[in-house]
Amino acid sequence: MPPKLKTSVDHAPDSPPSPTASYYDMSDDSESEYSTIKHAKVDSGVKLLHAKSKVYVHPSASAKDNVAGHIALIQQKASSPRRESIPSSSTANRATNSSNLLLAWSPENGLSSETKEKYSKVEGSASDSPPKQTYLVPPPPVTTQHSANLGSFAFAVPISEIFSILSRPPSSGWWHGSLVVNTRAGESFPALFFHDSECESTQQHRKRLQRENFDISGQGGGMFWGGDQILTWLKQYVTVERSTHEPNIYLIDPTDSDKLSFGSGGKPTQENVRNVLEGKNKDEQTPQQKQRDQKEDPLGKALTQARWTLLEKFSQVTSFTRRTAESVANNKNIPPQVRRLMQNPQVQTVSDEFDSARLYLARWAMGIAEQSERERNRRIWTAKDMLKKEEGELGDFEILEMDAQGLSLADKRKPVTLKEWDSWFNARTGKLERTIDEAKERIFHGGLDGQDGVRKEAWLFLLGVYEWDSTKDERRAKLNSLRDEYIRLKGAWWERMVDEQGTLEEREWWKEQKMRIEKDVHRTDRHIPIFAGEDIPHPDPDSPFAEAGTNVHLEQMKDMLLTYNEHNRDLGYVQGMSDLLAPIYAIQQDDAVAFWAFAGFMERMERNFLRDQSGMRLQLLTLDHLVQLLDPRLYEHLEKLDSTNFFFFFRMLLVWFKREFEFSDILRLWEGLWSDYLSANFHLFIAMAILEKHREVILEHLKGFDEVLKYVNELSGTIDLPSTLIRAEGLFRKFQKTVEAVDKRNNFMAAPSVRQRNTSAPQENAGTSPDASVPSSPQAQIRAAVIGGPGKSPAAAAARRQDGGASTSGREQTVSDQLAAGMEQEKDKVVSSELRDLLSREIPKLHKSDVQAHGGGVGPSQPGS
Amino acid sequence: MSSRKKILLKVIILGDSGVGKTSLMNQYVNKKFSASYKATIGADFLTKEVLVDDRLVTMQLWDTAGQERFQSLGVAFYRGADCCVLVYDVNNAKSFDTLDSWRDEFLIQASPMDPESFPFVVLGNKVDVGEERRVISSNRAQAFCHAKDDMPYFETSAKEAVNVEEAFQVIARNALAQEESKDFNPDFPETIPINVSGNESNGCSC
Ligand SMILES: Nc1nc2c(ncn2[C@@H]2O[C@H](COP(=O)(O)OP(=O)(O)O)[C@@H](O)[C@H]2O)c(=O)[nH]1
Ligand SMILES: [Mg+2]
Repeated sequence: MPPKLKTSVDHAPDSPPSPTASYYDMSDDSESEYSTIKHAKVDSGVKLLHAKSKVYVHPSASAKDNVAGHIALIQQKASSPRRESIPSSSTANRATNSSNLLLAWSPENGLSSETKEKYSKVEGSASDSPPKQTYLVPPPPVTTQHSANLGSFAFAVPISEIFSILSRPPSSGWWHGSLVVNTRAGESFPALFFHDSECESTQQHRKRLQRENFDISGQGGGMFWGGDQILTWLKQYVTVERSTHEPNIYLIDPTDSDKLSFGSGGKPTQENVRNVLEGKNKDEQTPQQKQRDQKEDPLGKALTQARWTLLEKFSQVTSFTRRTAESVANNKNIPPQVRRLMQNPQVQTVSDEFDSARLYLARWAMGIAEQSERERNRRIWTAKDMLKKEEGELGDFEILEMDAQGLSLADKRKPVTLKEWDSWFNARTGKLERTIDEAKERIFHGGLDGQDGVRKEAWLFLLGVYEWDSTKDERRAKLNSLRDEYIRLKGAWWERMVDEQGTLEEREWWKEQKMRIEKDVHRTDRHIPIFAGEDIPHPDPDSPFAEAGTNVHLEQMKDMLLTYNEHNRDLGYVQGMSDLLAPIYAIQQDDAVAFWAFAGFMERMERNFLRDQSGMRLQLLTLDHLVQLLDPRLYEHLEKLDSTNFFFFFRMLLVWFKREFEFSDILRLWEGLWSDYLSANFHLFIAMAILEKHREVILEHLKGFDEVLKYVNELSGTIDLPSTLIRAEGLFRKFQKTVEAVDKRNNFMAAPSVRQRNTSAPQENAGTSPDASVPSSPQAQIRAAVIGGPGKSPAAAAARRQDGGASTSGREQTVSDQLAAGMEQEKDKVVSSELRDLLSREIPKLHKSDVQAHGGGVGPSQPGS
Repeated sequence: MSSRKKILLKVIILGDSGVGKTSLMNQYVNKKFSASYKATIGADFLTKEVLVDDRLVTMQLWDTAGQERFQSLGVAFYRGADCCVLVYDVNNAKSFDTLDSWRDEFLIQASPMDPESFPFVVLGNKVDVGEERRVISSNRAQAFCHAKDDMPYFETSAKEAVNVEEAFQVIARNALAQEESKDFNPDFPETIPINVSGNESNGCSC
């Protein structure tokens, strides 16, 4: 029984449980009021200069004993001068300072929530210098000796007492990087392990480094990690000098003689140096010390037993051959730390539990490899480059290097410019003088130029606003009438809103939809310049966004979505639609035109938004079949992980990868998909291409539904579009060949005709009973799914049976049953009707009646509309 | 008992779209609020390690899309949950009215062993918005929670980090209690699908 806690509405902030609340009262300029630590009083604080969270002490070999805490640089008020005589004259100034500075570690659970908040504020300030505002925190107990500090790992050591810091970056045999503080008295504090993957500020910093200059190297030349930041802090106040003898040792404010002995000059014996550097300036270690060292370094022991060999996996992760991995390793752009990591197969981790860190590292390594690969061939990727590397399970597949007109592949992948586009049309009539297929192929392979405005025009063809064979005049007329129609539609909901017409239910629905659209528009693509501004006051002072303000484009977005909500009342606005509209509007920047282009897009996307989710389930099921067919080994693994619902692709399919790629990539991706050049469902091949890219990671490292979902969700922002497009095309070709091979094989066997769906069969009449006829077009296919659901329901099975031709041998049924039972044999590949539809270039659209039945809107209201 | 295995607590956060589920999670885990979190599509989760009465546990917080038609995410998603957090917006009556149906939806999908004792926690979010906008009073919300087996209730602001830490402490504690009650019950049905490879459980049975 879970303990039921008392309902606690008023967590009275005026009677805080901890004494630290009084620090809140101190003003920012209370510089003079903070105390020295030695005479700490409860009513004053010390100044927090820097902080970092997720720094752990590992008291034992078991991860569950780890203690999370913060490392911080703290300034106390100057106390009695200490140590002035020791540092050399050159550092005297700073030394006064350094005795007021403390390097402290305290456990997370030892901090009050107010203090924690300040720690996180200080940590969150992005710059390397301390925050402008003063944050006062309760003074930690000062300690200069670890041994005296029984029972707790917390310490706060004056910088002037620190002799050296041993830095062990994460990649040199340690899963987590760590720092060890060695004092001048010869003490060592427990190693502090930086769990970088959990630490927001380290992640942010890394991202920043990566974004600004693809260089994530830190102090030691390796990948930047949390410990590097500590050294950066210290460098602002004291001299930090790397020892030439022990490159992992950093001397803090070394005296001239220290420098001579351990720094840049001098030649003492190795052993001697090591002892001194590590704080063991006695000649011999006591047994206790030895014991303690072992305790502090449990990972060292555990490492030898660890099973997971990072490096071995690394070469698999990249899906490169060993040879490629080697050449990557020799690439001079790779930080030495990573190179060492890649060359050293002994790098291991003890983490066998759920731990996103290893996924992070695997992905990071993959990113590096890809990046350096790109830098090496500073040119457009061609299919050959791609395929050379695809030596995985998929085997080799080929893409024709030349098309019918003899255009080479590299030429085909150049974007279509406005000039080229215009050259396709008759100068006088404005009629297309190429075949539609030729135009589509160019757009599919090359995309459209992002700079010269060709998208604005071409997208209207791709989205069905214009007919491909129309003349200039026809298009102008069409646009005019569409503008009028948009104004009419917009007027309709506007009027109803003002007059509060309609039933109560309708009005409620309307209000809710309006609210929903409002909320969603304010959180859609706000990083894109046109949607970023908040320069006009919100028209509705009661809106929750009234304070934030809005801009004219956001308001246009809201109007268009409300108009769509009106235009398609059977479906209404559904979350995700704002994501689909934003790119179209950004290109058109004309609400009426954008609206109709969006409405055209929605005709094919409608099925994604049905209330019963049947359209999404059909696509996920198709993906399921596709993976079974093309990568049975991966499929089997996903089955074990309870992941064959392919739910982890839900987001990608729902809004066509909008959340995975950069805005500019989305424009390129979508126009390719809109061309329907190879398949009207090419987005499923994009999905498959993304999956294939990561198959090794999935096979090797992912162990549960949750891990798969997390991993795939986090691919967002990491996927390279050009190579994905090529891989997807390769997969399509392979799929096509497989289907051909299966058909050929079946032609030798009995009853071949049953398995061939006749795509030109007459359509059933809309609205008739689903049992009455044999659906065969894509529309009918969806409808069959809509009716029964493509899942496990008997109705769905029945629908599929019919689909395959119920009158004959029921071969399709056997197929479905086999699939369901997971009895599919490698040699005996089967092609389900869902799969066969992937060969169709006909856009799958829903029937009005299906939207009515399954849409989730309120349906038509105005008579005659 | 806790034994040596790492404790993973699965927490599901439900509530209408826009009430602040994603913001609350991010405030709790990442200590950040951003007005421009995109609307959630599908599902995602964040993990956080927390100490509950000296026990280190990993909380897996599942965030979902709130619009009705994305509700049926499937059983895999709810399976093995240890606590369910119901969120509404104190300035939006509709979001309060739907709490009941979110609760029912959860009980149906997750079908916990003992629905009466399954821990729910209710959060009334966006209390930072001015009183004049507020439509659901504390009393009303408390009465509702009281009537439903005394669900703990917190009023929060993801924006200003009000009560977020406190609420999730209680969520963690109740989830841990729930997780442990599973262990004590010998009849607890194993919901883990036939484990093909015989791997040791990694704490999550989904
Ligand atoms: N004022 C205020 N706004 C909030 C708060 N929490 C979330 N929001 C805003 O409410 C909107 C929806 O938030 P989100 O977290 O995406 O809600 P979700 O759909 O439930 O995940 C966003 O615009 C947020 O900025 C809060 O505590 N106070
Ligand atoms: Mg959300």
